[in-house]
Amino acid sequence: MHLLTLIVLAPFIAAMVIIALPDRARAATRLVAITGAGVSLAGAIATILQYDLARGGLQMQKVVPLVPSLGISYAVAVDGWSLSLLLLTGIILFAGCWASWTVKDRDRDFYVLLLVLSAGVFGVFVSLDMFVFFLFYEIAVLPMYLLIGIWGSTKKVEIQGPLAPFLKRLDIGGREYAAMKLTLMLLMGSAFILVGILALYMAGGGKTFNMELLRGNMVMSRDTQLWVFPALWVGFGTLAGLFPFHTWSPDGHAAAPTAVSMLHAGVLMKLGAFGVIRVGMVMLPEGAQAWALVVGIVASINVVYGAFSAMSQKDLKYIIAYSSVSHMGVVMLGAATLTVSGWNGAVFQMFAHGIMTGAFFALVGLIYEKSHTRDVASMGGFAKFMPGISVVFTLGCLSSLGLPGTAGFVAEFLVFLGAYKSAHGWWMLPGILGAFITAIYVLKATRQIFWGPFPEGRFEHLEDARGTEWVAISMLAVCLVLFGFWPNLALTGVDKATVEYLSRVVGTSVAAAGPALVP
Amino acid sequence: MVPVSSYMLLAAGMFSMGLYGVLTRKNVLGILLSVELMANAVNVNLVAIGRSLGDGRGEAFALFAIALTVAEVVVGLAIVIFLHRSRRSIDVDQAASMHG
Amino acid sequence: MKSQALLLLVVVLPALCAGVTGLIPYVRRRGMLAGTLSSLTVLATLVMSLVLLGRANGGEKVIVNVQWMPEAGKTLAEFGLRLDGISAPMLVVVSLVAAMVQIYSLSYLHEEPSESLGRYFTWHSLFVFSMQALVVSTNLMQLFGAWELVGLCSYLLIGYWWAKPSAGKAAVKAFWVNKFGDAAFLIAIILFHAQYKTWDIDALENQVRVTPPGALVVLLLFMGVMSKSAQFPLHVWLPDAMEGPTPVSALLHAATMVAAGVYLLVRFFPVFAANADALTVIMYIGIFTALFAALTATVQTDVKKVLAYSTCSQLGYMVAAVGAGGKLAAYFHLTTHAFFKALLFLAAGSIIHGVHSNELPAMGGLWKKMKLTTVLFGIGVLAIAGIPGFSGFFSKDLVLEQLEHHTVVWVVGLLTAGLTAYYMGKAFVLAFAGEARSDGAAHAHESGLLMTGPMVLLAVLAVVAGFFANPFARLTHLAEPGFHLTTTGILALVLALGGLGAAWLFHGPRAKDPAAVPGFLAPVDALVKAGLVDRFYEWSYRVVMLGLAKIIGWVDRYLVDGVMNLFGWVALEGGAALRVVQTGRAPDYVFAVVVGLVALMAWGYVGG
Repeated sequence: MHLLTLIVLAPFIAAMVIIALPDRARAATRLVAITGAGVSLAGAIATILQYDLARGGLQMQKVVPLVPSLGISYAVAVDGWSLSLLLLTGIILFAGCWASWTVKDRDRDFYVLLLVLSAGVFGVFVSLDMFVFFLFYEIAVLPMYLLIGIWGSTKKVEIQGPLAPFLKRLDIGGREYAAMKLTLMLLMGSAFILVGILALYMAGGGKTFNMELLRGNMVMSRDTQLWVFPALWVGFGTLAGLFPFHTWSPDGHAAAPTAVSMLHAGVLMKLGAFGVIRVGMVMLPEGAQAWALVVGIVASINVVYGAFSAMSQKDLKYIIAYSSVSHMGVVMLGAATLTVSGWNGAVFQMFAHGIMTGAFFALVGLIYEKSHTRDVASMGGFAKFMPGISVVFTLGCLSSLGLPGTAGFVAEFLVFLGAYKSAHGWWMLPGILGAFITAIYVLKATRQIFWGPFPEGRFEHLEDARGTEWVAISMLAVCLVLFGFWPNLALTGVDKATVEYLSRVVGTSVAAAGPALVP
Repeated sequence: MVPVSSYMLLAAGMFSMGLYGVLTRKNVLGILLSVELMANAVNVNLVAIGRSLGDGRGEAFALFAIALTVAEVVVGLAIVIFLHRSRRSIDVDQAASMHG
Repeated sequence: MKSQALLLLVVVLPALCAGVTGLIPYVRRRGMLAGTLSSLTVLATLVMSLVLLGRANGGEKVIVNVQWMPEAGKTLAEFGLRLDGISAPMLVVVSLVAAMVQIYSLSYLHEEPSESLGRYFTWHSLFVFSMQALVVSTNLMQLFGAWELVGLCSYLLIGYWWAKPSAGKAAVKAFWVNKFGDAAFLIAIILFHAQYKTWDIDALENQVRVTPPGALVVLLLFMGVMSKSAQFPLHVWLPDAMEGPTPVSALLHAATMVAAGVYLLVRFFPVFAANADALTVIMYIGIFTALFAALTATVQTDVKKVLAYSTCSQLGYMVAAVGAGGKLAAYFHLTTHAFFKALLFLAAGSIIHGVHSNELPAMGGLWKKMKLTTVLFGIGVLAIAGIPGFSGFFSKDLVLEQLEHHTVVWVVGLLTAGLTAYYMGKAFVLAFAGEARSDGAAHAHESGLLMTGPMVLLAVLAVVAGFFANPFARLTHLAEPGFHLTTTGILALVLALGGLGAAWLFHGPRAKDPAAVPGFLAPVDALVKAGLVDRFYEWSYRVVMLGLAKIIGWVDRYLVDGVMNLFGWVALEGGAALRVVQTGRAPDYVFAVVVGLVALMAWGYVGG
């Protein structure tokens, strides 16, 4: 069977098998889900091994016409970017299945939705056909509504501020509110995306949705590109936490159950950033160049604003969610630089942030399960009873603040380097400022949660991670260090694709002159 | 030969009676009967006009519509029975739980 | 074995050890086993480092590089190993002090829970790995990576007693201040690459000769040094770092990690030297730190704080020496300082172990109880004061000679030498002379062999290291050797003796109140107690940072998100307004349909 199709289908098939299982088959449900996720992960690794790095470009291409009259086809292939992102999705999904072990209520339905959603994510990363791309995108986004609405958590918040009189009716903080907000905002984004995709399709004469074919016969004037690009940018950007359309993220991530937060912050937000670069920038070079300054400025705002917002939060999940907003800003900043380092950094940051935030949400889930609180101020001295969790959490923090030796550093460093070398060198400063603020709030949170005297009597039966709980967090921790010390595992492929795509955007080859060094 | 306009007048009358029934009846069975009246008014039209044009398709269509009406009545009666079971009443005003 | 392999082992072995002691629960839970394993590893590292030092002395030079990050198909960043006259002695210093400190810790911390000890030694091994990786760096980028990793180890080890709120605060503060300096360092790295397209030591050296870097770049790089080597005003974390266990202070916050900044200055000296203005600024910052920290040290009562400020001050010397162009002097002082300051810290640890207090006023008369410790601490004091025959004399003299051409700096340097002798002498007499001033001091006892053994070895080195100035100069190729006694040396000696004399006069057994601050230091005491620098940082964190966070957090929740919610509210209210239309009664809907139909027909009739 075609490897990429297998990766996409495996979670879907697993979901179908779970539907067929009897109601009480707890262990079997998990086994099937983990097998499905495992097959995808193994497939992703096999893809990386099979991919010919020396040759680069699109490989393992497969095209099956679906609606020939409209030019819609199931067309999949991998390039250096999708390799890393497939691996990321595989890892997070696998870890997420383990982290959902303790879901009790309607666990079958939960796993089915989770797997279907992941199938959609895999599909987006390998699709060449924009129609199918969009289809998969929606499959990835919509199950979130149910996953958060049914299995989410509710937290009452006091409504304040100048707009408070209007907002009393909104049930802010409720899980249904969070699910609805997330879905509506993302669907608004989808509408923009659809417009953008159709514009691209029409520019190609309405003959094909395939991005590679479209590239050859697409004629789009600069003026048209100037409005199509922002549509795609805002559309995909909403999912990537673009300021000011990021506010679904804290509420959504805070309300979502553990595995859903992991997948959403870890992988789905990357769909948005991936879409901006792969569809928006690569397909619309002139639009991308004209809008680069705006994209970069908004990304800079994202980085600093997200970091400061995270610093002001008291709820652990909100801290992590805002840090995602800040880190996704780094991705967009890298994209806006239109330099090789910047793009390498952007894609690597998608990977690094995915792993890191996946680990964070898994850890927060564990901490919440054991302590029944997410209020940072009420915690303290947890390292006494959860030494393992505290070590992995610290590791996540270190990656978050960009410490060398963790994946986060490689990504942030490349983005900052690219930012300085771009047309707007000052972009480096908000990036580095963001990293510094991140250091402040993550270490502050770590100290409040794990260090200091243990508040006796307030928490009962606090304990370290046990058994299956270890799988997800240790896996992600290993990845953080592995890719921090050996970034070439992913970066070589990413670099290949970057050179190819960026050359299209800037119009000239960005490949380094002289003989290429073989790593 | 009776002119086609007479049939159409008859059909219009039947339709109006049916419509009146639907709008005024509170009893679901009554409404169902009125709906039948309206449907059959259309059938009368179909047959009459088809005949006057010398085209068999009108009659065929009417037959088809009658068959469909049967199905519709079955569903309608099922709803009535269900309504009666759950509410001990088939007053349409009381079955307004779908209001906004 | 080939030098490349040895070099690799020197770096990787401690990392493997950290992996074993950290990840295998069996080892981690047995602290003594982990400690033994870790000590043996670092001893092995020491042996290999000595072999490498011998080879480097024989003129061998090794440079190996592997790609770390690509860019457009070519190499962007590299990871490498470099053995030459500059890296070899530092390798030995690091592994030697680390070995002594780890062996010492086995006894010093034997009352700690086993599990915690496993963690302690894991961090120690991790530190040795990071530090060695820093020393053997072939390029600025790798050096930065290792640089931040040693900062991480410092954070982890300061926070070893994490349950103590003060330790947690100190650890986080150390990390923040270092991260601040490192942010500047990172900018400098990026600017260097943008200008020279390389981070490699040799390549950079060649290129800066052609096009010198701007002062801004060099000073940004120096800001990294300022935070790591505790130069004013980024020194604030070092005194607080004394919250960590004493052996940690000896290894990280005296001998090796804080010296990394000076090592960077020496390693990349041509880069700094390429911009004379920047170099001058560096010198002034260094000498100011030396004086400032020495003055602060004179009024400290906590023996570890005295040593911490003394470290600051000595690092200031080194930085000033580099600023004046004396890279050899700085590097040599770094080496001797590593020995005698580690010795002083370990001896202080021995005292603390015996007395169960850090406070000098609570000690006194320890000479009778801890004879060996007294002698060892005394050697340390004489070395740091710069008494002839001890290593500090030679290295400090080299430093001061470098400053001769800058009169003000030179005078301040000499003054600081006198102050150094005074506060160290004060600490010595307060601790060991006179009568016991507390129960703890009265019941003090000498420490065991595991603790005194490493101290004796360090003491020997603190004495003899000074005689190796000339071989050291030949090995490092930093400057022509040639030690000779000059006016500077004699002046420094006189001031040092004066300082020691003053210490005996004001704080000796004959003094009325040995622990009191003498009158001429009262203004210093007042200033130190005011803690202006610390309060400035406190203010910038609490008011600026947290304030901004509060404002932005509020704006986000209630304005940005408020507007988003407003859309939701409009939809809800709109729906509510329209819902009255939906009566739920079927006949009403039919009526609406009919009305609509009639309207349509009318429209068709009229408009059609």
